[in-house]
Amino acid sequence: MLAAKHAYPRRWPESTKRGTGPDKILPPPVADSSLLSQQGVVIMAEFPISFTLEYPYTRTLGPVIGPFLTALRDGRILGIRCGDRVLCPPMEFDPDTGETLRPDLVEVGPSGTVENWTWVAEPSRKHPFQEPFAFAQVKLDGADTTMTHAVKAVGQAAMSTGMRVRAQFREERTGSIGDVYFVPEDDARDQSIAPGEGEVEISTHLISLTYDDTLYPHAARYAQGLLDGKFIGQRISGDKIAIPGKGYDALARVMLTEADDVELATTGTVLSYTVLTPVKYRGQTETEPYLSATIILDGAGQSLTQQDIRNIPLDEFRVGMRLRAIFKPAAERRVDDVDNDWMYPSIGDVVERWEPTGEPDVALDELPESM
Amino acid sequence: MAERSAVVGIGQTKYDRCLPVSMDGLVRQAALRALEDADLTFADIDAIVIGKAPDALEGVIMPELSLCDALCAVGKPIHRVHTAGSVGGSTAISASTLIESGMYNTVLTVAYEKQSDGNFMWALSGGRSGGAGAGGSFAPWIRNYMRRSGAPEHIGWKVAAKDRRNGAKNPYAHVSQADITIEAVKESPMIWDPIHFLEVCPSSDGAAAMVITNAAGAKRAPRPPAWVIAHAKRTEFGVFPGRDPVKPVAGMECARALFKKAGITDPRRQIDCAELYVPFSWFEPMWLEGHLICPEGEGWRMVDSGATEIGGDFPVNMSGGVLCSNPIGASGMLRLLEPANQVRGTAGDYQVEGARVALGQAYGGPSNYFAMWIVSSEPNPTFE
Repeated sequence: MLAAKHAYPRRWPESTKRGTGPDKILPPPVADSSLLSQQGVVIMAEFPISFTLEYPYTRTLGPVIGPFLTALRDGRILGIRCGDRVLCPPMEFDPDTGETLRPDLVEVGPSGTVENWTWVAEPSRKHPFQEPFAFAQVKLDGADTTMTHAVKAVGQAAMSTGMRVRAQFREERTGSIGDVYFVPEDDARDQSIAPGEGEVEISTHLISLTYDDTLYPHAARYAQGLLDGKFIGQRISGDKIAIPGKGYDALARVMLTEADDVELATTGTVLSYTVLTPVKYRGQTETEPYLSATIILDGAGQSLTQQDIRNIPLDEFRVGMRLRAIFKPAAERRVDDVDNDWMYPSIGDVVERWEPTGEPDVALDELPESM
Repeated sequence: MAERSAVVGIGQTKYDRCLPVSMDGLVRQAALRALEDADLTFADIDAIVIGKAPDALEGVIMPELSLCDALCAVGKPIHRVHTAGSVGGSTAISASTLIESGMYNTVLTVAYEKQSDGNFMWALSGGRSGGAGAGGSFAPWIRNYMRRSGAPEHIGWKVAAKDRRNGAKNPYAHVSQADITIEAVKESPMIWDPIHFLEVCPSSDGAAAMVITNAAGAKRAPRPPAWVIAHAKRTEFGVFPGRDPVKPVAGMECARALFKKAGITDPRRQIDCAELYVPFSWFEPMWLEGHLICPEGEGWRMVDSGATEIGGDFPVNMSGGVLCSNPIGASGMLRLLEPANQVRGTAGDYQVEGARVALGQAYGGPSNYFAMWIVSSEPNPTFE
């Protein structure tokens, strides 16, 4: 137990509490019987799995934000005329009337006045500075609204409402809001900015989120089963077996306990399949056509979907075929992608291959319609 | 219901791989076109109902808040609906329900997707790269349908060719292939066996909007209203022992409730045309059966006989459907919006002559979310 606790931090690791952000990735769970207590009861906090979602999204900028970011790249800050006012940052629509604004853009700044501010004592890796800085609402000279942006100051004592700040541009500019930052006017230095080429029409945003998901007890038992080379389902009403179990019987609407866990066979029947010809997209790792099968384990009431088949020739594969799961060696089994989601459940990366048992096929009219 | 609801304004953007407008500009364009069609302005709108597919598609969390300016929603109630791929359908139904409840007089409903800003494949696999994609999930079910129904493989090709030809009549469609042949579909690369490349929906940017109002509003409208006769939504778990994803119980229950409310007893005869959510060609016969429009095993025969062509006795996806335009969040709304176009007589080159009663259907998730409505040119159509 103690060893497990040391190996797997609690739901909120100390690193997160200190505000140092998600840099510290939890170690992935591995086959380790110490995850189970002596009584076989899994404590939820002992099975946290860390997920990182990260994708470079793009933004089509449109007629106002496009020129605004193009100007930032070129060392200028633009606002938009809206009636008698100048809005900065500029907007596509009049915030009062909803009318579409003509893209009548005017240069503002580079100096302005801090109207409000807050001090960021412990920046995260995504902040504009890695040392303490201020976020401030800056009303740029010539603008009637404030822009929230970063002010690089020597310390909190250097910040005050009403102080004058001036824009500074970064050496490397990409046409993003991060191309600029502010400093107290006295700290500002003159810059010579060479304009870039072309218009900035699409921006890229690497958005990432790292979070820890702690498995529910039934999901932890299911994951532990996979690490142990077993398929653990749960018996629900009508003597049907769900795999993975949901921890409750969705049809009878009652909670299930560990007593309802059932170890299923490692043999099953092919219910359906598809042959995937990989299309190219970001993150795609497949290059050759491969089989993805729907397999119902013997005794189970629902099938395992999207099971990779690499060892059986495409033209020999068929519905009704009998297969057996051959598990990977214990040390190589991983359940990183097993989570509490039952809609698209995973069996982790524990099966080496599905091997034909050599038994006669199940007749097509004897197959269950459920998938 | 306290009030009747009717569609009096329809607005769409062009659907395309990447539209050179901001997300704000996109929803704005569809909204303004719907208002113009209804001869109204944002000032006439009491509430806004907005829908889109999961936020992970573009990585903008709760976009309904940042889109308030573009939709002139500041100071007004704005509701966000989220039911995966069926969301556009559920969104329109929610707007309709707000009118029927008597809460508001006129509601603007908008659905959109800016797919070019993100990656559908990645977002739908929960942010896991290397997933099999939607086709990888649906292909085994299609194979099961083919086995159970005995449908010959050319049925899928036929649906795809029909929808792409229909799309060529729709100026908003993303994909239009007026001269496509069944042979071309058959010869296109196999992506998720048995699904060929030309049997797969595109990935589109686009937005759709409707103005939905009560009887008094319908009376004032400058163009014919599409009366909402009945609507229904049903959901089931995506996975449970005994579930049949080829013919989900929720899909049948949704259709039963819908037909009952509308007074329809023989859907194939009493409904003039339908827009069904068909992202992969085979879903046309699957939904014809799965929504009890025809008996089991008859869906593919309807396709084979040409019954679902424009000019057939039960035209399906006259606009080209999801196979021609797939701005996911808006795709479901389009399935409900196009039947309104049909009964208003505003469907242009893909108008079904004399369409009086039309069905719209959207589904989402692993075939477990359903949203449907029936609209008519008459407020109280009777059926024989």
